[in-house]
Amino acid sequence: MGKRRNQTGTEPSKRELVVNSLKLPKDLLLGASIVTLTGNREAWIENYKGIIEYSEQGILIQGKTCQICIQGNSLSIDYYTNEDMKISGNISCVRYESFEGGSNG
Amino acid sequence: MGRLIHSFRGYVRIRVWGYSPERFLNLCGNKGILLWGIENHGESYEMYVSIKGFFCLRPIVKKTKTRVAVLNRYGLPFFVPKIKKRSVFAAGLLGCLIFLQIMSQFIWTIDFTGNITLTDDVLLDFLETRQIVCGMAKKDLKPEELERDIRKNFDLVTWTSARIEGTKLVIQIKENTHPNPDEYETGDMGGMDLTADKKGRIVNMITRSGVPRVKIGDDVEEGQLLVSGAVPVYNEDATVKEYLLCRADADIYLQCDCRYQQKIPIHYLTKNYTGREKKIPYLRVGSREWKLPVSEPDYLKKDCVVKEKQAALLQNLFLPIAVGNCQYREYVIEERNHSKEQAKELCGEFLDEILEGFRQKGVQIIRKDVTIKKDSVNYILTADFTVVEKTGTLVVTQTEQPLPAKEQEMTAEE
Repeated sequence: MGKRRNQTGTEPSKRELVVNSLKLPKDLLLGASIVTLTGNREAWIENYKGIIEYSEQGILIQGKTCQICIQGNSLSIDYYTNEDMKISGNISCVRYESFEGGSNG
Repeated sequence: MGRLIHSFRGYVRIRVWGYSPERFLNLCGNKGILLWGIENHGESYEMYVSIKGFFCLRPIVKKTKTRVAVLNRYGLPFFVPKIKKRSVFAAGLLGCLIFLQIMSQFIWTIDFTGNITLTDDVLLDFLETRQIVCGMAKKDLKPEELERDIRKNFDLVTWTSARIEGTKLVIQIKENTHPNPDEYETGDMGGMDLTADKKGRIVNMITRSGVPRVKIGDDVEEGQLLVSGAVPVYNEDATVKEYLLCRADADIYLQCDCRYQQKIPIHYLTKNYTGREKKIPYLRVGSREWKLPVSEPDYLKKDCVVKEKQAALLQNLFLPIAVGNCQYREYVIEERNHSKEQAKELCGEFLDEILEGFRQKGVQIIRKDVTIKKDSVNYILTADFTVVEKTGTLVVTQTEQPLPAKEQEMTAEE
């Protein structure tokens, strides 16, 4: 299922509080990326800006508020559009790296 | 579905390498160019892109300082020019498709399911009289009419269904294994008696309708009346006023003796195969057959085992073409003797068949006496059983209605 995280990892911002209280879609208003995992073989990613790095061992994706690092082996991109992408392979780790340099997995 | 659309429009497998392939991917995404099957091969990336997308790549390639090479081409736009060069192949392909289309308009095989008593041959003969044969056009077949015809002509058939699967006509039949008692002829007045099937002693009897004429412990003869379907209505003076006719219904169990005999000849003739065999393959198109070689082997005595396989496309699209082989086997006729053990074994099989028949009929065996004797030419198996089995055959009642009182007097005067 979709996994949405507050990118700073600290207290929710005012904007986030408003979005939460009005039950508005966070991916649209906060620019949160949606990562959908099926087991460890497939991942769908939506709401991103682009790919920063791509190798068989890892894919680094630039989200709107953070970077998403998917690690594993034999990784391949089944399809890639401006809207969403599908990654398949042996996924071992999904890590979010915020702009400040901190990271949380 | 997506793959089919891609194939229809055409797509290419490309390799991208150079300064910033990742940026190339992002720009493709931004321009709305769909990329799929992206794989990393160290310094380069390989991916699929549609033809339309491929022609939009030039500015992106320039901007990202990458290079693109086409590895393979797929889809209809690339297939058509290829096929143009091979006109004979294309014509063959087209001809094949037309042939299949025409052939699929006919029925090439008829399959029966559910028939036990009615054999396939009987049903095929019946269909032939209705001009339903292999090779007929599908449009000429009216399944509803055929179903009705089968039900009408075979009383045994209680339900039937005819449907066409590809080029196969499938006829499902349900036979009536338990005849409906209402279907028995009930005579003009509707009276039916129950009579004994065979000689024996009655061990149990429950009458549901009719007047019992025997009781438990009675010895009865074959054809003897057991339950009468004529129920008397008495006058005040105890004479019979009239008979109310009904269909006698009762469970009557008869203890009876039965004997089975089977002769197994000591000497018998058997085929002894010499081991010389010859397989002749053949091709059959419609009713014509071609064998290779044409001549049959010149064995003195031979039999033939035919194995045939009808050509079918997919599962149900049968074609009027069959291949097979005739296996001719040479044999000599030899006279042999059944040994005592073999005779015993054959007798055992025969006995098993009888017992299985009893079991299916629900017959209870009280006593069993089996002997095997040998005369000059045969082993003779004699099996005597004392069994308890259900009896009762419905026959039209013979009881006549008594004459009215006046007529009785007149006949007395005469």
